[in-house]
Amino acid sequence: MSPADFAVLLTIVGSIVLFGGAAVLALGWAFRSGQFDNLDRGARTIFGPDEPVGQPTDAFPGGDPGR
Amino acid sequence: MDRSLVIFVGALLTFSSSWLGLILFPYWQLQDQPPYQDTAAGGEAYPRPLAGQALAGRRVYEANGCLNCHSQQVRSQKFGNWWEDGVMRTGADIRRGWGARRTVSRDYIYDRPTMLGTLRTGPDLANVGTRYSEAWHHVHLFNPRAVNGWSIMPPAPFWYAREKVVGGQKSDRALRLGREWTVDPGYRWTPTDDEWAAVVAAHGPALRDAFAATHPGVIDLESPSGLRQLYAFWLTTEEEDYQIVPAAEADALVAYLMELRKAETPLPEAKE
Amino acid sequence: MTNPPPMTAPERERAARERGAIDLSCRGPVLYLATSGVFWLLVGTALAVFTSAKLHTPALMAQTPWLFTGRPRMAHLQAVNLGWASLAAMAAVVWLTSRLCRVPVAFPALLYAGGTLWNVGMVLNVGGVLAGDARGVEWLEAPGYAVPFLVAGVGLVSAWTAATFGRRRERHLYVSQWYILAAVFWFPWLYTVAQLMVFGLPGLTRPATGVVQPVVNWWFAHNFLGLWVTPVGLAAAYYIIPKVIGRPVHSYYLSIIGFWSTALFYSWAGMHHLIGGPIPAWLSTASVVGSMMMFIPVIAVAINHHMTMLGSFHRLTYSPALRFTVFGAITYTAVSFQGSVEALKDFSEVAHFTQYTVAHAHLGLYGFYTMTMFGLLYYMVPRLTGREWLSPLLIRIHFWCDAVGITWYFVALSVAGWWQGRMLNDPRVPFGDITEYVLPFLFQRTGAGVLIGLGHVAFAALLVANLGGWGRPRPGGPTYFTGPAAVREGSTTPPPGPLPS
Repeated sequence: MSPADFAVLLTIVGSIVLFGGAAVLALGWAFRSGQFDNLDRGARTIFGPDEPVGQPTDAFPGGDPGR
Repeated sequence: MDRSLVIFVGALLTFSSSWLGLILFPYWQLQDQPPYQDTAAGGEAYPRPLAGQALAGRRVYEANGCLNCHSQQVRSQKFGNWWEDGVMRTGADIRRGWGARRTVSRDYIYDRPTMLGTLRTGPDLANVGTRYSEAWHHVHLFNPRAVNGWSIMPPAPFWYAREKVVGGQKSDRALRLGREWTVDPGYRWTPTDDEWAAVVAAHGPALRDAFAATHPGVIDLESPSGLRQLYAFWLTTEEEDYQIVPAAEADALVAYLMELRKAETPLPEAKE
Repeated sequence: MTNPPPMTAPERERAARERGAIDLSCRGPVLYLATSGVFWLLVGTALAVFTSAKLHTPALMAQTPWLFTGRPRMAHLQAVNLGWASLAAMAAVVWLTSRLCRVPVAFPALLYAGGTLWNVGMVLNVGGVLAGDARGVEWLEAPGYAVPFLVAGVGLVSAWTAATFGRRRERHLYVSQWYILAAVFWFPWLYTVAQLMVFGLPGLTRPATGVVQPVVNWWFAHNFLGLWVTPVGLAAAYYIIPKVIGRPVHSYYLSIIGFWSTALFYSWAGMHHLIGGPIPAWLSTASVVGSMMMFIPVIAVAINHHMTMLGSFHRLTYSPALRFTVFGAITYTAVSFQGSVEALKDFSEVAHFTQYTVAHAHLGLYGFYTMTMFGLLYYMVPRLTGREWLSPLLIRIHFWCDAVGITWYFVALSVAGWWQGRMLNDPRVPFGDITEYVLPFLFQRTGAGVLIGLGHVAFAALLVANLGGWGRPRPGGPTYFTGPAAVREGSTTPPPGPLPS
């Protein structure tokens, strides 16, 4: 194995450790800090009192949004 | 997810990972490759940087988007497969005569930009300099259909000047091309009935003799079929009063094309 | 589905007012970005149809150097990708960010300046390419003098977006916002890094040499799709589909997986464009792995979009925005699957160097992205101008011309490209035979292009009419929409504070 190949291998392994480690740490942090709690509420943030869930909001001009 | 910082850092990391893997590694591996020199054989260094007209020609090639239809890479014997007599064979590029060997990274060290290309609407040009003469290239650039009837390459008449012949002597550089292609540059021209009648009246016998000097058989000027033969012959003869001469762009581009010999010189790393 | 939270009339009124105020604040800058995007779309379409015609009828305008096939072809690419796609993306980013962060646009001057810089850059770009200043790097053809304008333009819009995230009033970041935040960072970086590495900055950085250059080139070109256009398209779909049908995203959990796996894997794809070429084999392999891994986010997004739609497909009849967006979302699934398969060596050995790739690129950028952006514009523009679209008929013409056009385009060129590839790989087939085989399909492409162009003209007419004041004012009705006019008349008091969460 030439030094150049070794450097490439080292960098690949190193970056797997670096990026993989970062990903694992990030996931751990996310679970601990409750980023995944109550996901359903997150999905509903785009609705509000005036455009609630169950209310279609687009129609052809002059048309009925349908049910 | 409530933190924009998390998303930003994540985006930064993922982006960096591909930059590192796909860009930085090849950069380390391939940036500043030296040219190849077979010192034992006393050979010249290969490749050599372009200079002069060829360099200017590369700019013409670039600015006119030639790479959108022509690649500059010969794939190895392992690529390009077809079936012949029930056996799968590979290496179509080399078998097509597009190069004597595959091209490798060293072939491109002086290319700026490196125009590998991703479409083969036209043939590969990596080694085109070995295939045709300068005169062929000029006729082909002026109107590709004058060479290949099936070609869909656009003509480039604006890189050629159509000028009046002075003193009865045509330039050495004038294209050797029939009048059907030169009268209306970029298009295939045919005379109107009146123009043709005038030509027959004025030059009919002379044309018949010229035909007889270069072709077997004799044209009968009285018969319709003979006239049709004469008509076809006349269109392939050169214009007497006008000539088509390459302008600077055409000369430069052809010089560049003649320098494209990327798959000719053997390289130790390009075995297949 | 749980019952909606109890709401009172004043609450509804307040929410409607707040959104009305946000939309009103977006009106100027967003419409500026969107309309100039549509302008470049028309320019790009005209260049496309001309190039397509020139390819089967090469004598067309034979004596005009700036219409030599390669030049309008490069100008088309720049006009539709950096002109239309990027300006539409910026319009989408600004509007979605304002709505989802629940803050009215501050510093609109930044956005006007960014859009203007970008448009100036585009004029120099397309004009320069046609005039013969193009550079021979696919997707980076823009002449050097156009690039600083483009970088500065998108830089301003990105900075504005980051600042808006900083002053948001909605604590939760919705899935569209993840994609937007990542995209506005990715694209300026990607473009700058690619420019510096491919061309260098005289006196400061040395450009990459030899085959490193095409590697950087295709990393950029593929990531233009993966890290800029796709995230913005998905952000729009993630907002428009649930919003129009009034139903939350099927699985928020899946959308998290989809986002992070897109971020991780999409940027690794791209080197298959150089497969078999003079680059290290491991590079193509790494890229093929990235392409294969893309199945994860694509399936996640597909499940999410299509399961959200399940049971609501009849609404496609009623809503133009939904119709375009769902067409885009379905195409996204299709084109991504195709893309992953296309990266495989055995497959791309045939598809590479042919019209097949061209068909695939158009399915992605047109069938998915452009149709999704049309969906967004159909939803957004009436809410910004306070006016309905003028004519349902023109909307239908637009949809059917484009849907049929891109389908025709895709099928014709895919068939042509596949057999073109098979013939190219068989050295016994003379080159002229291949050209003659492809020719009828090239005529079909022009037909499809004209059809798509007709759709664009219909859309441009609708947009001009809407901006020009034709069309009924939007009714209040069931959406309790407070049009800009109502907000203006209401009072000069600032919009109410955030809702209790």
